[in-house]
Order: sequence, then C-alpha cells, then structure tokens
Amino acid sequence: MTWRILKAADAEAVMRKGGSARIDADLAARFRPGDAIVARNINPPGHTRVPRYVRGRRGRIDRDHGVFIFPDDHARDGTQTPQHCYSVKFSGRELWGPDAEENHFVYLDLFDDYLDPA
Amino acid sequence: MNGIHDLGGMHGLGPIEPEADEPVFHHGWERRAFALTLAAGAGGAWNIDMGRFARECMPPAEYLATGYYEHWLYGLERLLVEQGIVTRDEIAARVDQARREDGA
Repeated sequence: MTWRILKAADAEAVMRKGGSARIDADLAARFRPGDAIVARNINPPGHTRVPRYVRGRRGRIDRDHGVFIFPDDHARDGTQTPQHCYSVKFSGRELWGPDAEENHFVYLDLFDDYLDPA
Repeated sequence: MNGIHDLGGMHGLGPIEPEADEPVFHHGWERRAFALTLAAGAGGAWNIDMGRFARECMPPAEYLATGYYEHWLYGLERLLVEQGIVTRDEIAARVDQARREDGA
C-alpha cells in the first residue's frame, strides 16, 4: 500500500482544490428530463446512495447533472463505473401514500444504475 | 447497506431544530477529528465513498447515541485498522495515555 503524507504546508491548497466526483466523459445518458422512471429495489450489503424509502417508487427525471463516479462500486473496490446522475422528482403521495400533502415533492440525486424506465 | 444511517422517512426522532449562529464545531476535539480524517484521507489509502461506508458500519445503537463527529472518528479508526496503518491495541493504548494525562 502506498501512503502519501499530507504536509502542513500543502494542506490549504489540497483542501481548497477538493475532490470532485465529476468525470469529464461523453457518456450516453439512459434518461432525459421528463422521462418516467422507477427506482430499483436493490439492497446491496455495501455502500449505496439510493434511500430505502424510494426503492420501487415511480418518479420523473427532473434534470441531468452529468457524469460522475458511481459511489456503490467506488466504495467497494475503487472502481469508478462512470455514469449519469440525475435529479429525480418523486411526489409525496408516491412515497408516503394518500395521506401525504398533495404539493409535497422530494428531489433525489440518483444514478443510472438505480433506475429503470417506468 | 440498509443501515441506521438511512433515516429518511423514519418517525419518532423529533423535529429538526436549527441552532441560531451554529458554530462549525461544538468542541475542540471535533475540529481535530475533522482534520485527522481529512489528513488521513489525503494519504490515499481509501476514497470518500469508502469513508462514508465505514461510518455506516457503526453499530446502530451506538450510531443513534453519538454525534456527527463521533461517527467520523468511528469511520476513521475502522479504516486505519482495516488498512493495517494502526492496530486496535495502539488506539487503546493512546486513549489510556490521554486519559492519564488528563488525570481522568
């Protein structure tokens, strides 16, 4: 294992630079804004960023954020699996049932691998 | 992982009460925990998603009873041990030493 040492003198520059997960790749998007989707019911034992309450629920692509590192694979072994990440709009009633407020919506940032066409 | 960190939609946790003039850190040790985690992360032995997953592995009862930077410390210790950078015994020995120095 290689272990880099962060020197105090370099700390500020490194922190200001940050570490974006965005990838500059011209990858085809599986969905476009307005597309109806259903969040996959996946229950991986490792890291995932698709919340339980949205799995199996129907929503609509609101906008495409672009291409990013896919966190589930990246957390497992560092594999990047670049793919599009979208802001997806779900209604409160779809998530919480008929008692939810009518004008309540949740926007979730979800990756291609979390979604199927609906 | 269907862990305790995935709290969305869960009832009974009470309202979110924003703190007026909330400081970035509430205690000096939180500042150190934050800096230690970033400095160790800059070592390149793991990535940010591995760091998040390590925090999610905290036992659920412990997770709910502790604060944000305690989750960070748990994750950092877990990664340092997993990567063979420090041992559990070394962490325990350092904690004992710090307690003695504090006269606890």
